[in-house]
Amino acid sequence: MPSNPGTKPVIALAMGDPAGISPELTAALLVDPAVREAADLIVIGDLRLLEAGAKVAKVEPALHRISATDPIPEDLSTPVFVDLAHCDPAGIEIGRVSEAGGRCAAENYRHALALAVAGRADAVCFTPFNKAAMRMHVPGYDDEIVFTANFIDFHGPAREFNVLEGLWNARVTSHVPLSGVAPLITRAAILDNLRLTDAALRASGIARPRIAVAGLNPHAGDGGNFGREEIDTIGPAVIEAQQQGIGCDGPFPADTVFVRAKRGDFDAVLTMYHDQGQIAMKLIGFDQGVTLLGGFPFPICTPAHGTAYDIAGRGIAGTGAARNALLLAARMSADMRRTRPAAVQSAEAFRAACAA
Amino acid sequence: MTLPSQPLPLALTMGEPAGIGGEIAILAWGLLHATGPAFFLIDDADRIAALPGAPPIIRIAAPEEAGAVFPTALPVLHRPLPHPAIPGLPDPAHAPRVLGAIEEATTLAMAGRVGGVVTNPIQKASLTAAGFRHPGHTEYLAELTGGGPPVMMLACEGLRTVPVTIHEPLAQAIARLTPELILSIAIPTAAALARDFGIAAPRLAVAGLNPHAGEAGTMGLEDIQIVAPAIAALRAAGIAATGPWPPDTMFTPKARQSYDAAICMYHDQALIPVKTIDMAGGVNVTLNLPIIRTSPDHGTALDLAGTGRADPSSLVAALRLAARLAAHRAVEKDPACVSP
Repeated sequence: MPSNPGTKPVIALAMGDPAGISPELTAALLVDPAVREAADLIVIGDLRLLEAGAKVAKVEPALHRISATDPIPEDLSTPVFVDLAHCDPAGIEIGRVSEAGGRCAAENYRHALALAVAGRADAVCFTPFNKAAMRMHVPGYDDEIVFTANFIDFHGPAREFNVLEGLWNARVTSHVPLSGVAPLITRAAILDNLRLTDAALRASGIARPRIAVAGLNPHAGDGGNFGREEIDTIGPAVIEAQQQGIGCDGPFPADTVFVRAKRGDFDAVLTMYHDQGQIAMKLIGFDQGVTLLGGFPFPICTPAHGTAYDIAGRGIAGTGAARNALLLAARMSADMRRTRPAAVQSAEAFRAACAA
Repeated sequence: MTLPSQPLPLALTMGEPAGIGGEIAILAWGLLHATGPAFFLIDDADRIAALPGAPPIIRIAAPEEAGAVFPTALPVLHRPLPHPAIPGLPDPAHAPRVLGAIEEATTLAMAGRVGGVVTNPIQKASLTAAGFRHPGHTEYLAELTGGGPPVMMLACEGLRTVPVTIHEPLAQAIARLTPELILSIAIPTAAALARDFGIAAPRLAVAGLNPHAGEAGTMGLEDIQIVAPAIAALRAAGIAATGPWPPDTMFTPKARQSYDAAICMYHDQALIPVKTIDMAGGVNVTLNLPIIRTSPDHGTALDLAGTGRADPSSLVAALRLAARLAAHRAVEKDPACVSP
């Protein structure tokens, strides 16, 4: 059951790595008028860390504190803070990677996911994780997609999207060596990504998404002179997707496709590899970008920037990207709770999730 | 004592006459005639005069006449085409004139009669049909000047990038990458930054190949095994090189302040940042030639030819940059020629 039918979407916000800007960012988000207007919040973390963050951010958020075992109250008009009381700030050194920091972030995130799986939250957001700290706590930690899929036992396709105001980037391959990219560029992979991108864009409120597909090679292969992936694989996949009703076009040369998208020709660009999109996206909106983990039964959003260890604790961290992350999650929740299969919110899944 | 002399004019080649070259030359003259830099066009003067919006045109017999003409008319070194060019329809019969303009401009530059060569885009297919056997414009210039190997730089306001591999399949570019290949591009780049750009101690930022520059080997080993050794060799040679940098964060405005040129591992790594920062005003510079050569970083735009919608920004930036580079070289050749 949707948590709050007809009212604001509920976002479970997990505090990220405590050694970075997460505490101050979370505190600032709790008093952000745009965020409060768009969603009701359940924040998961350690209250001592949040209080430290509030001091840094010079804000005084109103909170309804509950413990990990308390039921979530029906009335969320005051943000609820689920105090896991598991991470003593005295044990955290600002700007330093630690297992304790990774554990703190991972436990907060698991709890937030469990709330969404149980249907108590419509979306999950988190402030930045530190990958090295996550790896200390979770051996073999790969990325948030794999971690999330494992935790909620999700087997469908899921992908990371980068979102700037009016411009989305999805990629067929991500954190793999560049030399390993070409073999991963298959028709099936491109089609999967186009379907996911199309669905995510629709969920975000774009009625008829227009997706540009980048080529792999310079000049999109220049008619076969600089590689054949565009002719053999990417082009046919685009045509197949079009036949399935997806508004896509390409392959386009990667060096100009973002310029075209930025000026409004497209809502999203599907790139073939990590830096093909990331170079342009970071130039277009370095500190405003949102990372969406798409394909899951509920939206999961986080700011695209990292833990910013170098400026943590100084009260100078920008909140724009984190705010955008919550706003996107709120927007997508409304659509997704209409279409979400009820099965993913079984009591069993919730119990399993909480036990993990 | 030598009096500071008027800078030499730039030679602008015809390029593909069915493309936008003539139109953007006219527009560039409109934007530059009052301020310079002075240039002349090697082209069919009658064809230029017939283009929409054509300014006054004066046929010159030699580059030395261009400077005096330039403020009031577009100087053209008249090289007639065998028959009229039709916008959008390249004609292999024009190939000898297209190539002739490049050869003539190069000869003038080699003889020190022009400050540099700025080339309008060519349509390779129609040249190939007429027997042109070079991989491209740049290689042709290298052969004409006996210089090289040529090194391609992309420049826009605030960023210069130099790709180590260019026009080849991405998979092949990665397979071909070696420390030696990186050095063969980075060393001439540092030399050109000093000689042509007037940067006494150039700083090179070398991009990684893989996402996050391989993240300590977890996403590919090339950054450790190929890029890092090249950087060490550059430093050993006294070049201020840093990296391998994660490719997605090294082009942000803040990061760009820390280097004079980015050495990139593949075409789009170099092109995406330049086009994203400045879609219309990017310039292609050929380093490591005996002459100064720049060109707009777009193609012939056959679909735009004759529509009056062509954008001269890149050509204007190419002309301005060529003039700046020529001035640096002039100073280097003759330190007494420093403008007051």
